[in-house]
Amino acid sequence: MEEKLKKIMSQILGVPESEIMPTSSPDDIASWDSLQHMNLVLAIEQGFNVKFDAEEIIQLLSFEIIIETLKEKIG
Amino acid sequence: MHINNYTSADLQSYLDTADVSNNPVLNIAILRNITVEGLTPYLRYLAIQMGFRASISYGGFDNVLQDAIGNDDLLNHNTDCIMIFTKLETLSPKLANGFAQLDSSDVEEEKNLVKNYIVSTLQGIRSKTNAVINWQGFELPVYPAFGVIDHTNSDMQVGAINELNDFLKAKLRDVKNGFFIDINVCRSIIGYNRFYDNRYWHIGKAPYTLDALREIANDNFKVFRALKGKNKKCLILDCDNTLWGGILGEDGINGIRIGPNYPGSAYLEFQQEILSLYHRGIIIALCSKNNEPDVWDVIDNHPHMLIKRNHISIAMINWEDKASNIKQIASTLNIGLDSIVFVDDNEFEINLVKEFLPNVETIHLPKGASTDYRQMLASSGLFDSLAFTNEDKIRSQLYKAEITRKEDQGKFTGDIESYYKTLNMVACLSSANAAVTPRVAQLTQKTNQFNLTTKRYSESDIEAFINSGNADVIFVELEDRFGNMGIVGCSIISYREDFAEIDTFLLSCRVIGRGLEKVLLSRCIELAKNRNLAKVIGSYIKTSKNGQVADFYVNNGFIIESGDNDQETRFFYETKNGVPPMPSYYKEINFECFKK
Repeated sequence: MEEKLKKIMSQILGVPESEIMPTSSPDDIASWDSLQHMNLVLAIEQGFNVKFDAEEIIQLLSFEIIIETLKEKIG
Repeated sequence: MHINNYTSADLQSYLDTADVSNNPVLNIAILRNITVEGLTPYLRYLAIQMGFRASISYGGFDNVLQDAIGNDDLLNHNTDCIMIFTKLETLSPKLANGFAQLDSSDVEEEKNLVKNYIVSTLQGIRSKTNAVINWQGFELPVYPAFGVIDHTNSDMQVGAINELNDFLKAKLRDVKNGFFIDINVCRSIIGYNRFYDNRYWHIGKAPYTLDALREIANDNFKVFRALKGKNKKCLILDCDNTLWGGILGEDGINGIRIGPNYPGSAYLEFQQEILSLYHRGIIIALCSKNNEPDVWDVIDNHPHMLIKRNHISIAMINWEDKASNIKQIASTLNIGLDSIVFVDDNEFEINLVKEFLPNVETIHLPKGASTDYRQMLASSGLFDSLAFTNEDKIRSQLYKAEITRKEDQGKFTGDIESYYKTLNMVACLSSANAAVTPRVAQLTQKTNQFNLTTKRYSESDIEAFINSGNADVIFVELEDRFGNMGIVGCSIISYREDFAEIDTFLLSCRVIGRGLEKVLLSRCIELAKNRNLAKVIGSYIKTSKNGQVADFYVNNGFIIESGDNDQETRFFYETKNGVPPMPSYYKEINFECFKK
């Protein structure tokens, strides 16, 4: 799951996978603005076949939070 | 890979690695009152598919009118295409969300606000650019203000939105090069429940899902593709399990499936779609591994065949490989391989053509899916063009006559000029007016081979030349003993202070090789001389397709003026040398005799 998420983040945000850390967030990845956040969320939903609700979407603001939320969804 | 099969992450990776540095740019400007930035990857992908590189600029959020009037960075002479999104929820929340509260005068007032907004926006845009405008129409509510009776009563919400859409369509027709993109159609293809993302509508005013954005991009590109002359001209069809079910060689004429009931009905429906394309001016050809007389027996004598002999411009029915046959069809019709769509049920044949003729577009009809064949052909959007002209109506006959002409020429033993004389050619040269701008624009958009500068113009561009007062747009019609070929060439001459410049000079590929270029060029020089201009400048702008006209000006008495770079060479002709004589092998050459 971690590897797959890293790949998607790298593809959408345009940063190498090696630069994506558990704490990576819009604060340290410059391209991660609100538009890219939307692209990222939609790509993750596609990639993992899950759906977030609006509340969740606005909180998915770091690699580890996304992983935690995905784990809750997929189990 | 088809665009529908990419995940958004993989599409992004594809775009990041695609080398498009040599592709010409397609400048797309997007005016919008909602967030549609998610369109970008789809637009970029579709541009690459047609050999371009998209440069996409977004206007300010909810700044449609302001951008139309004042944003010269966004809208200027470089702009190729403009996409406009005016979602009613933002443009008129009263009509979209609060309709039930309005009385009839409120409704009128709101409708007028929207109408004025449309008119002012279009005026603003046209003061800056003649670029194509794709305005996405207003979406119809599926849960309208007054519920089920709303669909019956035209004074309710659905009626009001229909009226706005009709108004928008009328204004788009008026401005020329304006197109109504029906989002409701995109929505019905994707399905209402998969079209909207209500979460992002609330979080970021982004109403559409990725599927929706992809379909909207697809529909808009049908217009862009036609604008850039990348729409297809010719449909080449396999026969067995494509035009009919079964294998003729095994099942025989009485065993193949074609007729009003299943399974033949699926093929009948598919043939109906092909016939519609035929009547839109698409050339229909056959490429089949079969015994030729058997195929013609079916076409001529099977009671349920809709496709008849007269619909087929050329047929290659033999046991040779299909790539060679398709090449033969292209050269007989004198069209580019990239104007062709090849349809076959056999994956081997499809792959062979993809391998050897990568410029040919292919549609594979999968086994067991015959009931979807019609839709697969109809949904491609590959044949869409921006106008429907008289030439389109008769195009297939024109090509058929052209093949007869070539066969006739093959039998002729004398010299070429004596042959021309037997054709009884009559040419007519006229100045373009509003009646012919669609055809003249279409010629500039579609002509690749005998085209000196390959400048693509829209109808409004052509009108701008006509109305400028310092240019002539000349077109030529041709008729011979095989039939009337309609408008087959044009030239645009711009007049400067002391010289005339031939901006555009082209002939349809159907009439290359009969001296018509000399007729047209002589007329251009005559027009310049009539204005007492000393020089006529012509230029050749090299493309991958127009090599045959590289020496055209030199062969016709022009002298090279400059040719410093590889791309463009300029030539001049001094009018004191007189107007070159018209070719003697024409029966008649007339002027301004256009009748419509």
